[in-house]
Amino acid sequence: MTVHLYHWEPNANSGKPMLALAEKGVEFESHYIDLLKFDQHQPEYLKINPDGTIPAMVHGDRVLIESTPMMEYVDDAFEGPPLKPTDPKERWRMRWWMRFFDAYFGPSLSMIGWSVFVGPAVRQRPREELEAAIARIPLESRRIAWRKAMFNEFGEAELAESRRRVQFCTGVLENHLSRHAWIAGKTYSLGDVNGFNLGYALPLSQPDHCNDAKTPHIMEWLRRIYERPATRKIWALGRTAMAQRVKMLERTAHA
Amino acid sequence: MLELYHSEPNTFFLKPLVALHEKQARFESRWFNAEQLDHFQLNTTRDIEAHLQLEREGPLLRHDDTVVTNSFFMIEYIAEALPGEPLLPEAPYDIYRAHASGQFLGAQLGSLVPILGCVKYLVPRLQAMDRGKLDARLASIAPQERRVSWQALLDGTYTPQILATAHERLKFPLARIEAQLASGPWLAGPRYSIADIDAFAMLRVIPDLAPDLVNESTTPRINEYLARIAARPAVQAALAMSRSGKPEQHFVPGVEPSRWG
Repeated sequence: MTVHLYHWEPNANSGKPMLALAEKGVEFESHYIDLLKFDQHQPEYLKINPDGTIPAMVHGDRVLIESTPMMEYVDDAFEGPPLKPTDPKERWRMRWWMRFFDAYFGPSLSMIGWSVFVGPAVRQRPREELEAAIARIPLESRRIAWRKAMFNEFGEAELAESRRRVQFCTGVLENHLSRHAWIAGKTYSLGDVNGFNLGYALPLSQPDHCNDAKTPHIMEWLRRIYERPATRKIWALGRTAMAQRVKMLERTAHA
Repeated sequence: MLELYHSEPNTFFLKPLVALHEKQARFESRWFNAEQLDHFQLNTTRDIEAHLQLEREGPLLRHDDTVVTNSFFMIEYIAEALPGEPLLPEAPYDIYRAHASGQFLGAQLGSLVPILGCVKYLVPRLQAMDRGKLDARLASIAPQERRVSWQALLDGTYTPQILATAHERLKFPLARIEAQLASGPWLAGPRYSIADIDAFAMLRVIPDLAPDLVNESTTPRINEYLARIAARPAVQAALAMSRSGKPEQHFVPGVEPSRWG
């Protein structure tokens, strides 16, 4: 049964199942959905995922649309190296940290990213085109997010709070990685796949808070993940400058 | 050694109590009065996972050297780590459905239900507290996000308009659950699982908080589903651990609503 993956760049939510599949050694048919062209709200894609969010995975007659649970499915459903620890306590820790990335660290980081990158990338199009694009978005929460990005409706207070949280979370992550080799504990897991997708560009986007002097454990953790063959393979699929940012993790760049 | 730190068996606190009783596990119950903010005085652990509490409030499960937090991942932990009744779905796709349900309902019901419950039941109790003691307890809450969630109950954040929006937004997850129950009796595959424990703990108070949204005619499947789960001996045993006799009237602030608006 072929796995079909509908995804954008190897980044954030799209990159999670891409990297998990590559780590398991599962080949998949890639369907590139261009987020900035609103491919995810087009009728053809809404037939796959009526919520109009990416990524989506189709495996036989099963459709999966939530990226973190999707990674657990990839680990459960396919042969290949296990991506979850066997110890239930480490599994719990892996899941807690994935929720920390998805629900706490991620939204603050993405609010900044959408205000400086996604918004400006689409904002120059005519107002009526943007309004029509918003009208096609199925979920209320996504309409709100896109409206903010398109028309730059982010308030200074909410951006300041996002910056505060990103700085705080970076410190929390550094502390965690100073005590554990990997997110779950002793072994590489989906927690690291998740965290890498969130954080691979932190040294570029947050150079004052994430660097070799202040966060040596985060830097080493990112470089170790970047050196894995599966990571190389997936980031090579990137089509934009965004995915290219991963190259700053080359050790030679700092030699 | 298995110890559960919990308040009245409602919402987040009800989930692990049900799961532990389903497993017929031996555990020590460490009850605290969350409405008096007593848990901020407990010296349970300095672990970041307990300090931050991604749901802002909730139970702590100490198992030997580890303190487990987050009500959904806690019941998954109980399901995986303890012997007894299997509470996990078996097939990978059903496990996916359980995780997706826990994530979706955690964000939706986990943020909306506590708003309505706290305003109805917790706020009057906080207002009746000695103001000096309350302020001292509030000031002792270290993570900003958790302190803000309590202060919001006292400073007029929850205007009638905000409450009306929360009430309106409940329709979306409720419609999804009602539709899912049309295709099978449980939320994640052919048998009762952690997905049902998770949903039940938040759904069971909605007929009281928003009677127009969950009732015999609007959500017949949810009504029947709630009755079916409420009849389980483990659920009755968990609810019987209440000290007030009315656990469904005791709330704590919940998951932070999306900061995007």
